[in-house]
Amino acid sequence: MKSSLVGQAVILAALALLPAVGEAIYFRDKISWRSAIAPSESVTVEQARAWGHNAIWVDARPDDEFASDHVPGAISLNEDRWNELLPQFLAVWAPGKKTVVYCSSLSCNASREVARRLRKEAQLSDVFVLEGGWEAWLKKNR
Amino acid sequence: MSMVMCVGAHAELRWEQTTVELHPAANDKQAVGHFKYQNTGKTPVHFKSVHASCGCTTAQTQKEEVPPGDKGEITATFNIGDRTGTQIKTVTVETDEAANQKTVLTLKAEIPQQLEITPNFVFWKQGEKPDTKTINVKVGKDFAVKHIKVTSSTPDFQAKVQEAGNGQFKIDVKPQDTNKVVASMLTIQPEDSQKVFYATARITNAPQVQ
Repeated sequence: MKSSLVGQAVILAALALLPAVGEAIYFRDKISWRSAIAPSESVTVEQARAWGHNAIWVDARPDDEFASDHVPGAISLNEDRWNELLPQFLAVWAPGKKTVVYCSSLSCNASREVARRLRKEAQLSDVFVLEGGWEAWLKKNR
Repeated sequence: MSMVMCVGAHAELRWEQTTVELHPAANDKQAVGHFKYQNTGKTPVHFKSVHASCGCTTAQTQKEEVPPGDKGEITATFNIGDRTGTQIKTVTVETDEAANQKTVLTLKAEIPQQLEITPNFVFWKQGEKPDTKTINVKVGKDFAVKHIKVTSSTPDFQAKVQEAGNGQFKIDVKPQDTNKVVASMLTIQPEDSQKVFYATARITNAPQVQ
């Protein structure tokens, strides 16, 4: 009786694992938005503010959200108009500067994607995602 | 699998599929997913909220109330913009069902990329030796590009294309000198294509580390 129960539990666990394995395979090339950002790739509002003029703030939110309000001095760089906005960002980027990318809870994983593309496509280093995004900045500054 | 089937059996709103995979064409502006459902219960189901995971995706219901036996669909529209590669967007649907009130609908879109340009930014520090730097261009797997044309927006940089074979090109970029801070837009155009790609070349100020 006891071994039968254990056997059934194992079968149930194996069956429950199937959809998870299927999802992992299905989303294998795009799992980063669900996983935590590596500590070396993120920064808190306090840390970023301490960088002062050595930081470039990048707003990854859609145009209308940027137009509504943004971190003072931030540059708009979103994936809706990436090809048009990227040169504008690169025009102010300078070696040695740190790039802080933020989005909001409304624009989901936009900051991660923008940071990823800056690292991969433009091959920039010192690109960080702001922990807590726009909302965290607002909380500390307003 | 058995757990999913078990939950489905008790739910009143039964979804035909909760994940849709789309393959938009290279020049498509939007990718639209249709999530079909049927109320298999005995009471009406009401949508309480339909919330897309980000501003680039919108979702629409055909109706707010779904009578028993009725069918319908939620349409999710993903605005592609300048996104590339695999894109996953979700729509969370909340109903007043007794169980399974929240359903997450997933839209997976594979955005084809005609040219992959790495890096799309090359720079020299002011006063640095004006050596040649190379931009690699790789043709996407679903495309055939035999030649590309590269032009610089200013005469401060020269760009030469080398065909590296196997759907790859190398663009050698060289500044005239690095005495002054200048920038140039490199326009990269595949032969027989209207689509234009860009890279940036720039002479930057010397780093000012604080």
